[in-house]
Amino acid sequence: MVYAEYAWLIPIMPIIGLLLVALLGKKTPEGGGYFAVGGIAASCVLGVMVAFEYLTGGSSEPISGTMTWLQLNSLLKLEMGYYIDSLSAVMLIVVTILCTLILVYSLGYMHEEGERKRRYYIEMSLFVVGMEGLVVASNYLEMFIFWEMMGLCSYLLIGFWYFKPSAAAAAKKAFLVTRIGDILFMTGIIIIFASLGTLNFRELFTMDFANPTIDMNLLGFGLFCVFGGAVGKSAQFPLHDWLPDAMEGPTTVSALIHAATMVKAGVYLVARSFPLMVQTPDVLLIVACIGGFTALFAATMALNNPNIKRVLAYSTISQLGYMFLALGAGGYMIATANFNEAAAELGNAGYMAGMFHLLNHAFFKALLFLGAGAVIHAVHTEDMRLMGGLSKKLKITSFVMLIGALSIAGIPPLSGFWSKDEVLAAVYNAGSVNVWFYLLYIMGVVTAFLTAFYMFRLWFMTFKGEGKEATHHAHEAPKSMAVPLMILAIFAFSTGFILMGPDGGLPAVIRTVNIDGQLIAGETLGLGWIEKLFTEWQTWLSIVAAVSGVGLAYMAYYKKSISVDRFATGGSKKVYDMLLARYWFPKGYDWIGMKAVYGFSLAIDLFDRKVIDGVVNAISRLAVAGSGTLRKVQTGVVQTYATVIIAALSAILFLMYLLGGLR
Amino acid sequence: MIPQEYFLALASILFVIGAYGVLTRKNAIVVLMCIELMLNAANINFVTFAAFRNDTAGQVFALFSIAIAAAEVAVGLAILLNLQKMQDTINLDDIKLLRW
Repeated sequence: MVYAEYAWLIPIMPIIGLLLVALLGKKTPEGGGYFAVGGIAASCVLGVMVAFEYLTGGSSEPISGTMTWLQLNSLLKLEMGYYIDSLSAVMLIVVTILCTLILVYSLGYMHEEGERKRRYYIEMSLFVVGMEGLVVASNYLEMFIFWEMMGLCSYLLIGFWYFKPSAAAAAKKAFLVTRIGDILFMTGIIIIFASLGTLNFRELFTMDFANPTIDMNLLGFGLFCVFGGAVGKSAQFPLHDWLPDAMEGPTTVSALIHAATMVKAGVYLVARSFPLMVQTPDVLLIVACIGGFTALFAATMALNNPNIKRVLAYSTISQLGYMFLALGAGGYMIATANFNEAAAELGNAGYMAGMFHLLNHAFFKALLFLGAGAVIHAVHTEDMRLMGGLSKKLKITSFVMLIGALSIAGIPPLSGFWSKDEVLAAVYNAGSVNVWFYLLYIMGVVTAFLTAFYMFRLWFMTFKGEGKEATHHAHEAPKSMAVPLMILAIFAFSTGFILMGPDGGLPAVIRTVNIDGQLIAGETLGLGWIEKLFTEWQTWLSIVAAVSGVGLAYMAYYKKSISVDRFATGGSKKVYDMLLARYWFPKGYDWIGMKAVYGFSLAIDLFDRKVIDGVVNAISRLAVAGSGTLRKVQTGVVQTYATVIIAALSAILFLMYLLGGLR
Repeated sequence: MIPQEYFLALASILFVIGAYGVLTRKNAIVVLMCIELMLNAANINFVTFAAFRNDTAGQVFALFSIAIAAAEVAVGLAILLNLQKMQDTINLDDIKLLRW
């Protein structure tokens, strides 16, 4: 291993870029953007080399290096370091490539921002540091530090146009809502540290959980808290509401942070904790239920939203739900398999499906967001009702967006199809262990249908139909934007095919997960697997769901043979409005904030004013009145004092005489 | 020989007369004189015990006490002189600036 030992350098590269932007940004073109791109590209090269070396190395043993940060006592210590295994290697590839492409795209997209560009590139570089640090981190605490760093950058970048009140509010909301998750995550870390005595992944993943001194209930609660952190970061129900608002930031930020990388950190965290979570199946059931519910729930809100970026945001939430669903289902299978190899293998397939969907989603969602960015760049509006007919003017953009939409909709043979199908298959298989998973499977299929529908609604509304006023002066994006789009389109089209490569698809290393210190190998894929895939009814069900979704969108928004306006009026208007109002979640938050919390605060304020202040004032008034009376003792006549002294002395002496003290 | 108690009784009577004067008289000069009485009562006690216990230390203390009494009267009279100058009175009932 030549490069893997330098994995710690990966997050250092963007720091160098950041410093160069900060020092020289004012004097160089594009606000120093080229330095930021350079730093991130360097980390990309190194990251891909590390990942490639690890994945082709043939060994599934993780590579890690740590140094002691804090020695708490002779047994407990906190460390810093890097930890490379198949999971972080895959994440490294996804994250570094996407960060580089999106930064290159930024050069074109942010061209007109002037002075603010320098701030933009600094914040983006810092974000990349956080994300890459999170991926290579060797323990939970280190992960948490980078996790918080990303949270800060997310806040700063959502509020990039801070002079817009809506952007400032959205930034605040994102920060506060994810904070709930962060506090849970921190609680989880503390519980894990307290119950297992280490935070280091290498030690945690080789731990003997048969040891009766480990309190499994406490550990389960700790892992539930860790999942709470993932819920906040990955915008899952009930902490999902910040992500649609986060679209107030620049589109590149939405693409990088709120679609491709940071929101994936939650999924990554759960996948990272997988060897621990399979010890506590209940937590995994919760993960699967929240994921499945969020997938459907968020997809419905995307159905009628007129804002192109918000539709993509809901779709992100929904797809993240898919990943949690797959992880939960797969983990549940392994946890309840009881060393049954076939069941464990099916469970591993769920884990793989989740991670595979993460990889595919990162590429096609980044593509969709950047495509949406190119559209917004061209027409200067985010409202799809003002767009239409853009496919003639934005030929490249409309084509790559079509690839992205087909991919996310799950039309074979694009990448989204393979991973979505694997997710659904994993959930269906888990149904044989716990019936709830059949319900989640149905929700997943419905979500697939809805996804296909709303993505093609977006595509038809934007690129087909008649041109509107806003679209007359539309022009194709500059080269720095078009090239990343095309590269991403190639990825979005083809990442599914790695399943079909030689040697069972991916190198065998990727398809293993480390449980109880044992490596469980996944099922071998390849051409035989694909043949089997297309003979199963579940596969055809998801294809039918996807195609009918696309067809419905085609009829409703292209042919207009189904009138959609009917739903906006009449009996279904209530549902329509409910979806636009996001199930009244923002209202609910406002109600909690403005009425419940404010009312409670008023009551507390009243208590403070009347009771606490009352007691304090009463005490002081008593003191004032008492001393007002007592001060009259001070007459100023010396003889009075002398009288008191002599009288008191006499009294004391008399008492002493009586009590026998004078003898 | 006159018994010790007679001397002590005389000293007590003198002390109480002095104390009564200090507490009741309005004229500051009389108060000073009463203080002298109290000091002399103490001196009588010193001398008495010195004589009856054959210890000359008591006499020495009596001499010191007389010297200090002289100094005290000097200071006291100086204060009263200034008081008379500034307040135009030495009636102790009228001198009550240091009060509420």
